[in-house]
Amino acid sequence: MTEQTLTLSQLSSEVHSAISNAFPRMVWLVAEISELNVNRNGHCYLELVEIDEETQRVIARSRATIWSYSFLMIKSYFETSTGQRFKQGIKVMVEVSIEFHQLYGLSLNIKNINPTYTLGDMAVKRKAIIEKLKSNGVYSMNKELELPLVAQRIAIISSPTAAGLQDFMQQLQHNPAKIAFHTELFEAIMQGEQTAPSVIAALEAVAEFYEDYDLVVIIRGGGAQLDLASFDDYELANNVAQFPLPVITGIGHDKDETIIDLVACHSLKTPTAVAEFLISGATQLYQLIKEFEYRLQEITPFALEQQENYFAQIGRRLNQAVHHYVDKEEFKFETRKNQAIKYSEQFLIRQSNKLGKGFQKIITGIPLRLEGEMHHFHYVSQTIKLRVEQVLHAQQAKLDAYELCKHMNDPKQILMRGYSVLYKDGKLIKSSKQLQDGDEIETHLANGKVKSVVTKK
Amino acid sequence: MAKKKLSYKEAVLEIEEILDQIENNKLDIDELSIKVKRVSILIKECKTKLHTTQKEVEDILNTMNNEE
Repeated sequence: MTEQTLTLSQLSSEVHSAISNAFPRMVWLVAEISELNVNRNGHCYLELVEIDEETQRVIARSRATIWSYSFLMIKSYFETSTGQRFKQGIKVMVEVSIEFHQLYGLSLNIKNINPTYTLGDMAVKRKAIIEKLKSNGVYSMNKELELPLVAQRIAIISSPTAAGLQDFMQQLQHNPAKIAFHTELFEAIMQGEQTAPSVIAALEAVAEFYEDYDLVVIIRGGGAQLDLASFDDYELANNVAQFPLPVITGIGHDKDETIIDLVACHSLKTPTAVAEFLISGATQLYQLIKEFEYRLQEITPFALEQQENYFAQIGRRLNQAVHHYVDKEEFKFETRKNQAIKYSEQFLIRQSNKLGKGFQKIITGIPLRLEGEMHHFHYVSQTIKLRVEQVLHAQQAKLDAYELCKHMNDPKQILMRGYSVLYKDGKLIKSSKQLQDGDEIETHLANGKVKSVVTKK
Repeated sequence: MAKKKLSYKEAVLEIEEILDQIENNKLDIDELSIKVKRVSILIKECKTKLHTTQKEVEDILNTMNNEE
């Protein structure tokens, strides 16, 4: 076994040539930028890492460089393509040459970049944030808020130095319909790392007085294409989604929407568009109100006229109805009258028929009855006659008896039969007590009177 | 008594309803004049509100209430 001893430079040289043989051309590489520094010469020094998705541990690390002449091109190409700053924390696909330097060791020299990869990675991250918002049930909360018909009290979240804010204010204050808007600025940093926490703080400040506002606008100057990723933040989106007032965004972009655009109640591309939106809402209502006013002026006299017509019509209808009614009643009456006449005639005929029959009965009945009655009468009169005769006979007999009796009791007759009557001083004496000795008495006999004196009693 | 603040939406709905009633001849003559007056007030209120800031609206409403 022969031992070969190398110097460090010899080893380095062999490694260098081995690497050159192994990687004769440049290779495409994906990695995450964990550090990024640009020195005063414009050279860019980076640290690239690979992080294990499950353990989140760094499983590979390497230094990399971009020389200044490449860096300017790569940076601008990347940023215009992705809308994302070229900075640490992003995943990139880069074309590198693998270099081994005797003094500095292994290094990757970046010559080219593929922004599409980063875009894809950002999209994955965005998707994850969106999924999280959805699964927490907050994603559409702000969208479900009803935009007021007119929003005149507006809380603005923006940077006071933003050009977009000036445009917004200018447009809002000089609207042709002269709608009055009340605005209040809540300052926030609108780009860079501080964007999300700063906008969240501003939202919290608005929330304290949320009853004083109709809605919130989050606006940022046009042309600031970079740093849109600052708005793809879970915490910020969570705050916007759950905000008690409708949020309208206008953060100056014309590519993909950021996540706060997605969760906001309404999203527009620029601050100017937001101002136009607010103005058009109010103007539409103003037009509607003017239309109402016009309609009212048009229809009121018409309605009054209709009321008058209505009463006139009612009058005519009443008139017609009365006539109709009277005609109908007359007709009914006439019909009834005719019916009554007809019925009475029929009735009379029927009654006279009945009467005729009755009469016949009477005519034939009377002689029969009379005969009966006569017979009865005859019988009765015979009976009466008989009875009367009997009574008369009896009475005659009584009369005869009375006559005889009268005759027998005649005083003359009685006197003639030998009886006498005694008077004293013209008075009839019926008892011896009426007489005293010496009284002169007169005795009446059948053929004269004798006066005598009582001698012994 | 303080008047209840009417939102634009409520105002628009009420105006539309009344105009509809007037147009379709659903009101009798007594109601008609009352409702016409009501719509005029609502229209005036909306126009005032659109053209003045909140502060001014409140001031106007206050003076209106004080006059009542």
